[in-house]
Amino acid sequence: MKLITNWVSRMPLELIFWIGSLLAIFLLDPHSSTHFSLCPLSQLGFDWCPGCGLGRAMSLLAKGEFQASWALHPLAGLAYVVIIARIVQLIKNLKTTHNYG
Amino acid sequence: MANVLRHLPELEGMELGYIQGLMKGMDEDQASLFAQVYRARRKDAQMILILTLLGFFGFAGLHRFILGQVGLGILYILTLGLCFIGTIVDLVNYKSLAYEYNIKVAHETINMLNASYPGENDNPSTTTV
Repeated sequence: MKLITNWVSRMPLELIFWIGSLLAIFLLDPHSSTHFSLCPLSQLGFDWCPGCGLGRAMSLLAKGEFQASWALHPLAGLAYVVIIARIVQLIKNLKTTHNYG
Repeated sequence: MANVLRHLPELEGMELGYIQGLMKGMDEDQASLFAQVYRARRKDAQMILILTLLGFFGFAGLHRFILGQVGLGILYILTLGLCFIGTIVDLVNYKSLAYEYNIKVAHETINMLNASYPGENDNPSTTTV
């Protein structure tokens, strides 16, 4: 049990999350009319949320459809910049902060 | 050889081990000065946890601002914490977020102290008024 918790605490969870979410966005089909959503708000039945369409907008941006992307969610570009900067930061941290002393 | 528990008893876990490693080469005076400055600048993991929890009430991303990640903070606050998913992820790893920030601050503190007291044998308490 201690071995497992040790191993989990060593895992760069945030890095896995960001890279996983970028991969999921690339694999997403932005044009399908009914989309599967992980969003807790939409699972609860709310129609609107300020983040709604961000994933699909990022997916459209990756495929080069800038206008459609902007119409869905204008923040897609910022999201890419910020998330990629964070991934770079986390990879740098892997090398520096995890060896003691 | 300074003992970290004597100077910074509030540390725990990974941070405790890391700071002990940094304090190995310091004498007692240097260690107590380092501890004072570091304590004033580090962020408590509990505060990160509480700020992350505010994300469920519409103030997502405050913890990212506090940790100096302004870009992610803006993204979180404008998208309700990436539709709560980002907030939930940060609830799981709030400790490593705080750890990452604190390690950075510890190194900054050491650099700052080295810059203001370049002589190794100088006693900090007597060189300043």
